[in-house]
Amino acid sequence: MADISSDASSTAIDVRPLARRPMLEISGVSKSFGATQVLCDVSLSVAPGEVVVVIGPSGSGKTTLLRCINLLEDYEEGTITVDGAPIGYRRRGSERIRMSERDIAAARATIGMVFQSFNLFPHMTVLRNIAAAPVRVKGAPRETAEARARELLAMVGLSDKAAEHPARLSGGQQQRVAIARALAMDPKIMLFDEVTSALDPELVGEVLAAMQQLAQGGMTMVVVTHEMSFARDIADRIVFIDGGVIVEQGKPDEILFAPRTNRVRAFLKRYNDRYRI
Amino acid sequence: MPFDLNFLARLLPALLEGAEVTVELAVLTIAICLVWGFVVALAQATRGPLGWLAGGYIQIVRNTPLLIQMYLVYFGFSMGGFGLSGFASGLLALCMQNGGYVAEIYRGGLQSVSPRQYEAGRALGMRRWTLYTTVVLPQVIARIIPPMTNQSISIIKDTSQVAAIAVMEIMKISEVWVETSANTYDVFLGAALIYLALTSAASLAGRLCERRFTFAQ
Repeated sequence: MADISSDASSTAIDVRPLARRPMLEISGVSKSFGATQVLCDVSLSVAPGEVVVVIGPSGSGKTTLLRCINLLEDYEEGTITVDGAPIGYRRRGSERIRMSERDIAAARATIGMVFQSFNLFPHMTVLRNIAAAPVRVKGAPRETAEARARELLAMVGLSDKAAEHPARLSGGQQQRVAIARALAMDPKIMLFDEVTSALDPELVGEVLAAMQQLAQGGMTMVVVTHEMSFARDIADRIVFIDGGVIVEQGKPDEILFAPRTNRVRAFLKRYNDRYRI
Repeated sequence: MPFDLNFLARLLPALLEGAEVTVELAVLTIAICLVWGFVVALAQATRGPLGWLAGGYIQIVRNTPLLIQMYLVYFGFSMGGFGLSGFASGLLALCMQNGGYVAEIYRGGLQSVSPRQYEAGRALGMRRWTLYTTVVLPQVIARIIPPMTNQSISIIKDTSQVAAIAVMEIMKISEVWVETSANTYDVFLGAALIYLALTSAASLAGRLCERRFTFAQ
């Protein structure tokens, strides 16, 4: 297989110059749960270092879209590539071929995912939660992985929690550990699935701050959230999904303050009515 | 008369000899069931004929008395022309029945691990083997230690039923001593004390395992 890691001149699957090659390219993705179509021919391209925030009503398909990107949900049509490498399905002519489990796992290792419910491993200390995948998946030496884990813990402000088990941490702390755990795999892109929805309001800020720091560091991010003010602060682009299609996308101020479609306007109005103090 | 210490002192070496057989039988049963029960649990988790087969097996072995299973194995094999020793028949029946119970314990343990844990592992690029050995099984093991300790204690006590097919373990030796000495009460008291010592050792081992493997949930 061609080397697609970083060298723009290599014979990669996608031969566009690195600067113009999207980090994430979703093209024509459709997905149904039984008779219900949740994604309908969705296409989205995310540039390296870009932060895309996905908003939309519950059940609109935004979480499903995120989960398709690392194939936690299978999709029936379309293709997804990360940094030019296909995730889940390859194209051979007009044929769509599912990749082997080994290749899918390797592809997932390049994508960081943070979940709404943290999903830390309860039987491991915080340090081992972060170092486990680099050791077991990438074969990194334990000392190296743990040294890196300590750096990441320092980055999310939890150096003193390395030896604790997740059950001893607050929700906000657990979510910051989950971010560090995803970063430990040196992902090319980070996916955030409503990561503050399960947190007490006073713990939301610390998680958003960690994400902000990451965005400023140039990480490519796709963020599904209900935190509109955070979306405005962090997003390079906001994508509004409803009924499994991208209804509107654009710069935060355009979408949040001057939406072109009634659907977005209605959604924002409902949102504002509910959260006005 | 009850509590004849001299008599108990004479009985003890004989019971300890039987205890050796009991321990052998119990340890082998527990070891085999830990593996066999896991295989059955995995089979039961599959869809289709293998899953039904495993489910049917569990129903049959759980819902018939151990003593009858032991007789069926013991006499069944000898009717088939290749007789198994009492020890082997007893071991087989104990493993058959307890394998069903242990499979259910594993099933409960596996079901207790949230699907989100699997997703978290997969999202980090783990393949099946790594996912199970790193994420799933350590959690399963921690949660099944208490029921597994119970089952081990029950296995130790169940070995007494192999006396019915003439295996010279604690119970059978006790029966022989009852017949020859007519001191029924002291013999069974002595036997009970030996079983108590063995099951206490098993509980202690269970506690130690719990301390080693459990984590704050």
